[in-house]
Amino acid sequence: MLRYLGRRLLLIPVVLIGLSILTFTIARIVPGDPVKLAAGPQARPEQVERLRADFGLDRPLIEQYFTYMGGLIQGNWGYSISNRRAVGPDLVRYFMATLELTILSTIIGISIGIPLAIISARWRDRFPDHGARFFSIGAGSIPVFWIAIVLQIVLAQNLRLLPVSGRVDPRADFPEIITGMLLVDTLLRGNLSGFGTALRYIIIPAICQSLLVISVVTRQLRGDLLDMMNKDFVRVARANGIPERLIWMRYLMKNTLIATVSMLGFLIGYQLGGAPLIEYVLDWPGIGQYALKAALLLDFQPIMGATLFVGCVIVVVNLLTDLVYRRIDPRIGFK
Amino acid sequence: MTPPVVNNLIAEFRAGRMSRRQFLAMLTTLGATAAAGTVLGYAPALRSTAALSPLKQIDPKVLIYGGGQDVATIDPSDRVDYSISAIMRQLYDRLFRFEGGWPQPIEAGLCQEWSSNEDASVWTFTITDQAKFHDGSPLTAMDVVYSYQRTLRFQRQRSSLLSAYLSVDGVTAPDATTVVMTLTTPYPAFDRLLAFLEQPIVSEAIATANEVDGDEGAAWLVDHEAGSGPFKIANWQVGTVYELEAVPDYWQGWPGAGRLSGVVWQKSEDAGTRKSGLLSGNFDISDTISVTDVEEINSTAGIAAAVNFGLLGGYLKYNTQEGPTADLNFRKFLNYSFNRQAFADSQLGFVNAMTGPIPEGIPGYDPNAEPQYTYDPAAARAALDASPYKDGGFSIDFVYVSGLDFEEAAGLILLDELRAYNITLNLIPKNWPDIVGGCSVPAGGAPIAFIFDQFPPLADTWLIEKYSSKSWDRPTGGSYQACSFYKNDEVDALLDELRVTVDAARSEEIVVMVQSMIAADAPDLPLYVAPNVLGLSNRVKGFTYFGDISVDFWRLWIDDAT
Repeated sequence: MLRYLGRRLLLIPVVLIGLSILTFTIARIVPGDPVKLAAGPQARPEQVERLRADFGLDRPLIEQYFTYMGGLIQGNWGYSISNRRAVGPDLVRYFMATLELTILSTIIGISIGIPLAIISARWRDRFPDHGARFFSIGAGSIPVFWIAIVLQIVLAQNLRLLPVSGRVDPRADFPEIITGMLLVDTLLRGNLSGFGTALRYIIIPAICQSLLVISVVTRQLRGDLLDMMNKDFVRVARANGIPERLIWMRYLMKNTLIATVSMLGFLIGYQLGGAPLIEYVLDWPGIGQYALKAALLLDFQPIMGATLFVGCVIVVVNLLTDLVYRRIDPRIGFK
Repeated sequence: MTPPVVNNLIAEFRAGRMSRRQFLAMLTTLGATAAAGTVLGYAPALRSTAALSPLKQIDPKVLIYGGGQDVATIDPSDRVDYSISAIMRQLYDRLFRFEGGWPQPIEAGLCQEWSSNEDASVWTFTITDQAKFHDGSPLTAMDVVYSYQRTLRFQRQRSSLLSAYLSVDGVTAPDATTVVMTLTTPYPAFDRLLAFLEQPIVSEAIATANEVDGDEGAAWLVDHEAGSGPFKIANWQVGTVYELEAVPDYWQGWPGAGRLSGVVWQKSEDAGTRKSGLLSGNFDISDTISVTDVEEINSTAGIAAAVNFGLLGGYLKYNTQEGPTADLNFRKFLNYSFNRQAFADSQLGFVNAMTGPIPEGIPGYDPNAEPQYTYDPAAARAALDASPYKDGGFSIDFVYVSGLDFEEAAGLILLDELRAYNITLNLIPKNWPDIVGGCSVPAGGAPIAFIFDQFPPLADTWLIEKYSSKSWDRPTGGSYQACSFYKNDEVDALLDELRVTVDAARSEEIVVMVQSMIAADAPDLPLYVAPNVLGLSNRVKGFTYFGDISVDFWRLWIDDAT
């Protein structure tokens, strides 16, 4: 296992170098001049050129790339040309908000998606199945930003049960940061009221983000369960009088879990890349919004930073998913 | 002198937040109180806002502000936009205040008196000795010098207009309360320029103490403050929440009948969310409200929309150097073809039509002038017939900022009109950086681009940046204001003269002449001044419009009793 782990870890830099070349190229060939934009409308020519030189954008592209990568190796993620903020700390700050949202939405997604899939498969082509399929297809096909707006209007604006947007209550004390995930930080500090507040703020974004997880998990697991239910070993189990509950828990669920875990790994990686639309509508300060804003401003180093950071996270998530496979099914070897 | 409370009453009434009956009742009450006070010998107290105000003893409260934009940096020498300026006004003092009303008057800030020599090349400013930084240290003329020099040294966005007139060596402090600025180019409106630029005065000691590798505190000041303004930072969570707390003993005092205890700028980039925040009571004020939401806000109890017109002018800019729009008659055809009324209708009437290159609020604006080009199909036909494109049969691009429906509406109106002349208009949405990049050289410029310009309220700057060929015909290319790539040698010469003349009469004469010459060349269609729409809870008092998208929190207070 260690050899496998080492080999996978060694592949990470290779993947990231490929990603960096791709991102660098795309970021530099798109039209527009980020320097002029950052210098402002009344900037004199010498100001524009100075700014270009400050960020090394007057150097040959190859030199720019190696300078950036050299900095990255030393832990320097660069600076935003639009506001001069250091990219590294900002990436961590925004990513932790995304991570918190991803964890909660995945928990919600699994908690609803798995029971829904079981109900759907157990009562195939009957009313519960139709209801579950209607819900899961709807959850996956309705645009999340629309759901976000509807929840915002109903739960926040009309019923006033939850806040409209944001991550913290502006009228309350800001929780002390430990991990950057407010739900975790407030619990670690024993700040239950802060935890409640943080929970109120994350509910709408988490519901919106979990819809995709619910949809995918329900449909994937339902299909796998139905497929598995027709397998010989399940029929034999039934013929032998094994209780239905045991068949479901020991035979069906265990054998269908690998595909679901695989899909979950993909979904978690996808969510960790941020959800710009949800973040935009609900003002959730996540990495998706950070990257999108940087892209719209052609802010080169934040674009590179966000892409590489998220790329790195996805590679790690994929590795962890592979390790979980092995745990679920010992027949899978580390080769 | 009118007592402040009466001014506030008048402002509330004018803003429509108080009925005529309430207004008269309050005025009568105040009058009776004043009379009783005089009889009882307490008349002097009436000059004190606190003593006069029916809102006295109002507990300061925190105001939650839904801002449509993030506060990207608070470095006093870096970039500027409306959200940064709104926050900087609270954290830092400036030489002048510029938020006393509309059109914008210059009010004394740190600078109590100022004067210039005869040719406006040397300016002397007397600085108050009352101001203190938030750490308790006194603010002196040396801090003013440091702040201006720091900005000029950094050569970032905030220095752009300033460095045309002032060099680092040109700012000196002969003593602790005097600042002298010796200009590289004489400029009679320099005080107005300084007021507009709102250079925040930073504590030299604090900036220096937080210096890393000679950065003059830049890395630290990006999210910390070293100012003397009415508020200081209570909590600064980048991208999440920006919280300010009031400095109760602020050296300039508090102008309203009450004050805020703090302000929270909650970034809310989606217009729908800002409206929902206001309707749900989450926000006390929301800025950049869509005009389509004004009616709903005004019909909701407890909140109201304030619609005002400022300095954001929308223009259809034509590429005067390339393609069909290089032809004068074709440009005139486009101008006569644009149906301004249809556009105003598409914006529900929230449009302040521009009559010429200079909008309302800028010196040189003529309030009586009719728009130089109105919708006139006959004149459009005549202009097109006089051009080489009279038969049509070609297409032309109309570039606008992706996602801005009002810009797209202008394109659709023109598209519909040009169809009758067998000309196809291609509506091309682009990201703003692409549009800015396209404005560098004529070869890359769009034939027609919808561009919003915001400038200082100075006629010379407004005209030069847009219509002088020096603003684009240079090795580094042009800016988006000059996206018409307009070149008229006579206009260039007059604008050069306008920049340096100290003769006010000549200056006015040039502004009038130049506007007329520009209109004759039709390098653009000055379309409209966009409204600044704020949604305010009725609890919020003291709002005064001053041409900006945001508000001055220093003047506000919250009163739950009304």
